[in-house]
Amino acid sequence: MNPTKMFHNKIGSMKQGFANYKSLDSRDKRTFWKEFLLNNALYILLIIAIIYTYIQNHNFLGAPSIVNIISLSAANLPIACGIAGCIVLTGTDLSAGRVVGLTACITASLMQSVDYATKMFPNLPVLPIPLMIIIVILVGGIVGWVNGFFVAKFQLHPFIVTLATQLIVYGILLMYIMINGNNGQPLSGLDQHFNDVVKGSIVSFQAGGARVAIPNYVWLACIVVVLMWFIWNKTTFGKNMFAVGSNPEAAKVSGVNVMRTTILVHTLAGAMYGITGFIESSRIGSNTAATGLNYECDAIAACVIGGVSFVGGTGKISGVVMGVFLLRIIFVALNFLSINMNMQYVIKGLIILIACAIDMRKYLVRK
Amino acid sequence: MKKLLAIIMAGVMMLGLAACGSSGGGGDELSVGVFYYTYSDTYISSVRTALDAQLTEAGINFQNYDGNSNQTTQNEQIDTAIAQGTNLLIVNIVTSGSVDASQAIVDKAEAAGIPVIFFNRAVEPDEEEGVVLGSYDQCAFVGTDAPEAGHMQGQMIGEYVVENYDTIDLNGDGVISYAMFMGQLGNVEAIYRTQYAVEDANAALTAAGKPELEYFDASNTDKYQVDQDGNWSATAANNYMTTNLSQYNESSGNMIEIVICNNDGMAEGVISALNDRGYNLGDGSSTTIPVFGVDATDAAKQLIADGKMTGTIKQDAEGMAGAIAHLTKNVQAGSDLMADTDSYNISPNVSNKIYIPYGVYTGE
Repeated sequence: MNPTKMFHNKIGSMKQGFANYKSLDSRDKRTFWKEFLLNNALYILLIIAIIYTYIQNHNFLGAPSIVNIISLSAANLPIACGIAGCIVLTGTDLSAGRVVGLTACITASLMQSVDYATKMFPNLPVLPIPLMIIIVILVGGIVGWVNGFFVAKFQLHPFIVTLATQLIVYGILLMYIMINGNNGQPLSGLDQHFNDVVKGSIVSFQAGGARVAIPNYVWLACIVVVLMWFIWNKTTFGKNMFAVGSNPEAAKVSGVNVMRTTILVHTLAGAMYGITGFIESSRIGSNTAATGLNYECDAIAACVIGGVSFVGGTGKISGVVMGVFLLRIIFVALNFLSINMNMQYVIKGLIILIACAIDMRKYLVRK
Repeated sequence: MKKLLAIIMAGVMMLGLAACGSSGGGGDELSVGVFYYTYSDTYISSVRTALDAQLTEAGINFQNYDGNSNQTTQNEQIDTAIAQGTNLLIVNIVTSGSVDASQAIVDKAEAAGIPVIFFNRAVEPDEEEGVVLGSYDQCAFVGTDAPEAGHMQGQMIGEYVVENYDTIDLNGDGVISYAMFMGQLGNVEAIYRTQYAVEDANAALTAAGKPELEYFDASNTDKYQVDQDGNWSATAANNYMTTNLSQYNESSGNMIEIVICNNDGMAEGVISALNDRGYNLGDGSSTTIPVFGVDATDAAKQLIADGKMTGTIKQDAEGMAGAIAHLTKNVQAGSDLMADTDSYNISPNVSNKIYIPYGVYTGE
């Protein structure tokens, strides 16, 4: 479809919508607005929160702050995009955080600069970065494949499977950071070139006298988002995923290979955790067994807020991105407002609750 | 086929259980259970490595447990170990500074008639010193004097700031603004470090006729930013610091001028955030914001050597493991638990509390 045609279509549908609206009587109009407000409650609240924070502290919408929100979100995008696929299949993935930890530690250990005093593998040169990305995708992918295999083959609930693999991965991670006399010490002293590539910046601009730099991993996250959008919307695999998510029996009858799809979704998710681990290793600069702990909680929350439903078969990548940003905006806004840290838990909890309630309401209305 | 598989799996499990059973027990021989609060803690990992080596060298039969930051898990592990025939408990308690949690463990040990050695994490708050440790003659504590690290860090910071006042005061307003990263809410070590690091630094500044340190964000009444997951993690410190720097920087004339962290992990996270902004690169050309930590991990020592970090407080993992091993050998030899401990630094109030001293570290 060409852009002009798309534009006309959009205008057309807006006209149509307006005509529909005009044809409603006053009572229906009230219902229309009520529905509109409820269905978009989250976005409306978000806009109010942003405006309030901005009034209290003008720096909130300054260029450095916006770039900061984008970079904090970017690091969490791959893991959220990965886990979203598992949720579409009515599942979940508890192993995500630990896989991030394992891949972050593997990346850090292989990327320590050659002259670093306590290098884990002193005789190993710094690996080429593309090879490193392949390694993390492989490691994450293998864990994901195991998850998917047990879910698909033995019809186990993903909650159970990933609860188990999460423990196994944590055990492996603990063993990994003890080897070669590292004894659980944080893995740091990363190669400068590696740091430059991941968190250096090819794009930076002047804003109010300060140089604002966009870290490179933001672009990596963009590529991941575009790739995931493409997979979800433009490939047979993506269509199969939604089919399996909404009704596995029906999908099977209509010729979808349910087992293969399930395994692939989990494998893809694992690869995404690997990419988050790759980014985190450089972004944080100090990797321990605690790296990645509870990352899956934020990622699942982001998906749910963004409308990826546990009912299965629904969800959009744009929603996931929105969810990730929303969580980060809350984190930054509460800091800018210097609100007591404890409130952050309460607010986060309320948002998840409201988001899910609004989401489920749609299904209840339909029934 | 499926049945065969099930039978084989059951068989393997039985074998596993049998193997576990045979390693425990064992009459009069000393069998030690070492309970760590979590394997993922960096400093505790150093203690574990050192203690493993020393116990192995002494030919002592021991088994390590990971409490995984959960007191219930740890209690269950202790129950199981006692039932299995463990006759010496070495406990790195999960809930630090709580009389209830530690008393429960002492009671278990007393009921079984076996000695218990606590280490690293405090078993009772300072105002109730001796409540738990004095309740059972077969128990001891090897640790650090929790406030000491905070005091030392504060003095180190005070001294450093007084000496380099004008270099640190980037905006030249005569006041040094600081950021404070706390590891965990409700942990006595974190509380003391957060409190004394600033108080003692201020005392040194006042003595030198300088104004006190000022928290960078005037509207934050806590005057610290805490890892909400309670992990003392580099990630939390990094997220906070990048967010802070987006608002407080040199171009706005309100840059954070020193950073104080409860541990070295958080300091590393902060330095990573500063590096992204072109600070603390250690190459002489960039501005260095003094960053202070506690623990003296290898990574922090390296950062200090590279000029990216200013100072830390050394926690002596080897020394702590040595003291624990000494007490263990006392039990093995059948002598008093606290025998031959005169060379150690013992608490003035409670006779079975050994303090391993901290030390200031600002480079070799």
